[in-house]
Order: sequence, then C-alpha cells, then structure tokens
Amino acid sequence: MKIKTLIPTVLLALGLGVQGCALAQDGEWVSYRDAYKAMVVFAKYGKPKNLLQMHYQLSPQEAATSLDGVSLSLNGKTVQLNLPLDPTGRTSFPLLKAAYDENAVLALNRKASLFAFHPRLSLAVRADGAYDAAELRAACEQALQYQRYVNAAFGARKCVGVRFVYQKKAEAVLQLRDGGRETLLPSVDGAAFDGDAGAGFRVVNYRFSDWPERGQVVSPFPPLALAPLFD
Amino acid sequence: MHKLLVLALVGACGAAVAQTPATNPMPDGSRDMYVGLGVQSLPRYDGARHNKTLALPVLQVQWSNGIFVSGLSAGWHLSNSPSWEYGPLLALAPRRDEDGISGGLGGVGDGSGGGAGATSILPGDGGIVPGGPDKLSKSGNPLLGMDVIQRRILYGGFSNYYLTPALRLSNNLLYGAGNGHDGLRLHTALQYMLPNALPHHSFVLSAGVSVVNSAYSNAYFGVSPRENERNRIGAFRAGGGVHDVRLGVRWNWALSPSWMLTSGAQATRLLGDAKDSPLTERPNNWTVSTALAYRF
Repeated sequence: MKIKTLIPTVLLALGLGVQGCALAQDGEWVSYRDAYKAMVVFAKYGKPKNLLQMHYQLSPQEAATSLDGVSLSLNGKTVQLNLPLDPTGRTSFPLLKAAYDENAVLALNRKASLFAFHPRLSLAVRADGAYDAAELRAACEQALQYQRYVNAAFGARKCVGVRFVYQKKAEAVLQLRDGGRETLLPSVDGAAFDGDAGAGFRVVNYRFSDWPERGQVVSPFPPLALAPLFD
Repeated sequence: MHKLLVLALVGACGAAVAQTPATNPMPDGSRDMYVGLGVQSLPRYDGARHNKTLALPVLQVQWSNGIFVSGLSAGWHLSNSPSWEYGPLLALAPRRDEDGISGGLGGVGDGSGGGAGATSILPGDGGIVPGGPDKLSKSGNPLLGMDVIQRRILYGGFSNYYLTPALRLSNNLLYGAGNGHDGLRLHTALQYMLPNALPHHSFVLSAGVSVVNSAYSNAYFGVSPRENERNRIGAFRAGGGVHDVRLGVRWNWALSPSWMLTSGAQATRLLGDAKDSPLTERPNNWTVSTALAYRF
C-alpha cells in the first residue's frame, strides 16, 4: 500500500476509533491496571511495615466537593466488587490477577475530574485505642522509610508526629498519660491527610517534640485514621 | 504513587529510539500490551531539510518478569526499587540509504528518544553510481552516493533514577553502531510526568542530550574519501562529543480502558561535528506522531 493511500486510511481509522471509543465508554472510570501498579508497591515492600496500612484513596480536588454518596466499584468481565469508601475516601484495594488480566475498571458514580486517585499510607489503628508513645514514633519511622523507598524527595524529611483524625468534634478526645499525669490534647478542624482539600475533619496533632518519649496516648473513640506527620 | 503510570508512545524511527518504559509491577504471569497504528512525520535522516510521513505501527509489551518490548527497543527491568530502574537494553537501528531512514515501530515511552545507531556498508553495486559525481553533487540529496547504513541491533543498558515520582532522570547507553560496530551513544534525559493533568490525559515533558564517540559520529555524519569520490560533497571526518539536544512532549489520551490515543512531538538540534557535517542540511529537526493503540 502506498503511503498516499495509507495515510488517509490510517487517519480515518483513527477518527473512527476515537469516535467509537467516546460513544462506547459511558460513565467515569479509572484503569485498574494503573491503580494496581501504584498499589502493589506496598505489598511487595520488604522492610518493616507491620505498623502501617495502605489504602486506595479518592481525594476531592476542591473543599466544596463532598464524598457523600460517592461509590466505587471494580468491574471486570468476571470480577464485580463494591469498594466501600470510608469518610476520608479510602478503601481497601484488592490485588486480583483476574481483574488485572481482564483490564478491569474502577467505576465511579461521580465525575472523575472532581477527585484525585492515589495510594494513601497511614498508621494502623489499634482496637483498644491505647498507643505507646514509642510505638507511634516507630510507626511514623516505618512510614518515613516507606516514603523514602518510593520517593527520593523524602530523603531529608523527618518524623515529627502523628495526626489523629476524627469525624466528629465530640469524638476528638486524645489523652496523653505520662506516669500519674493525664493531659488532654487540643483538637482543631483540619484535613485528614496532608494535601487533601478542605478541613472537614476534627484532628489532633500529637507532635513528638512536645511530649516525653515515654507514656501512652489514649483515644477513647476510634480515630478514622492515623496520619504520619513529616517535616 | 502514580509514578509513570504515564504511557507514552515513541515516535519511533527517526534516529531510532531506545525506550525504557517504567517498571510495571503486575501479577505473576500477567502482561500489559499495546498494539496500534498511526502516522508520523520525521526527518528523512538526522540533519535532513525535509520530513517524510510514514505509517507508525505501535507495539509495547511488558511482562511480569520485567522483560519489555517498546517500539524498536527491548530490555529487562532488573531492579525492584520504585526509585531506580536499570537493566540490559537492545535496540534496532533503522536502515539509512539514499532515500533516508526506513520506517520503524512505535512503542510506549517518553518521547525524548535516545538515539540508536547503525552501521554502514558499501552499496551493492560497489559504489558505481549511474550519472557520475556531477549528477550527485547537483541532486540536492547529500545521501546520494553515500554508503548504505543497514539495520543493526545495538546493545547496552539503561539506568533511570526518580528524583521524585514525577521527575525521572533517564539514561541509556547503546553500543555497536558504525562500520567497526564500535559506535557508542549515551542519551540522558530529564522527564517530567503529569500522569493525571486531566482525567484520562497524561503528559510527559522531556529534555535530553546525546553524547557519542567518534566511531558513531563518523558512521552517520562522516564522508569518507571514497564516498566523496562519488558525491563530491566533501570528505569529512566527524569526531565524538555532544551530538544533539532534544525537547519532547508526549500526550496520552485514554479514550476507554482499552483504547488510547497517543501523540508526541520532538525537536532536535544537532551539535558539534554532526552540525558541521556536509550531510547536515539543517541542524534543527522535528518529529511528530499520533497513533491509536489498543490495550490487551
């Protein structure tokens, strides 16, 4: 086939393909394969991570965007899963070979442009609500080591604390117990994680430099999330 | 971490491109493959005044063991680190004859394209060109009378370091070009990735520089006394050094989970002896391409 014949043919195919794809693809979606690539890094990470957890997060791009009513599901030829979101927009991400091979999608019932999609690292929440200060420091250090593993720009950063994230003001109670003393840490309105838009949560920042290395941090109400703080 | 979830189709051909797609962790036994077709406009050869338009077949495959094929390149990711990629690399350098370089194969890469090389042999007729030297010198085609440069497999390696998840310093070194199969080329590029600038749209901006040894430079931009006897453009011995600088942009539009429109542009400026060669009609070249690819 001569090039003069070939070029219009190719351009026509391109045009038809673009139009066909636009018509065929209704709704909002994110490639499962692309999300998988980002999420599997934590699963394969070989250094200590027992105090950490990884989620897939939808973060509103603007503070005015709500996560209320937002649903996410994994849709493939043979795989259909609902992925419930917590109030911070996080969900447990299933690492499924079948979904990968089927080139499945993460389907969203909102405009995808309203959200950022990314892995979210946080510290594991304890069921009893009691955290040793040393354990929080160790957890933050694990998080920092992981961030350095995936992002060389974290090389010079340091752990400075942990943010306890609550949904309601009444739940944002964090006590520091050191010997016989008991101190209530102040809560403020804020974002759950650095970089998130808006300040729709009640947060308590437990900064290591403000408190003794020993002691216990007690949260009577389970926090939504524990976010490591880096400077 | 959306590092290099960006896919970028290589505007292959040109000075052939050695691409190293980002490491792509996937389930054991899986693969990620793109196949497609498009068009590209690229210089007839490095330093040519005119572009030519060619069909652009597209192929990129990555397997769970780290092996990948990307356009005219193939390699193997040996590192498990998300911040540092390295491994062996093979590239197919296209043929160059009096019509310029031949067509190639697109892959999925960055768009900055580290050039590969090729080796040259005498034409099959032993160098006797109908019409004689005067005809050649007046033809306006500096490649008339030049030795044909055949397709050749180059071998070497790549090493990419992520300064941040969005900023990659990419290096590839390929050896084997030239008459003595000893041409060496190092291409270094800084690539900035915008994987989610808009939903389903991703961009890669890149700036790169190539350094070659004298064997490489002479194979592509030198004119031997024997070649000069045929085309009278002036014998020229090209030395090594900084060969070119490049700016590139790649735009990928995921039309659906399976279909992608990938487009790119690259501007190249030849430097040093490559710029001064009598084969070089102009030092600035550009390449554009677009293709529709299906993801399997």
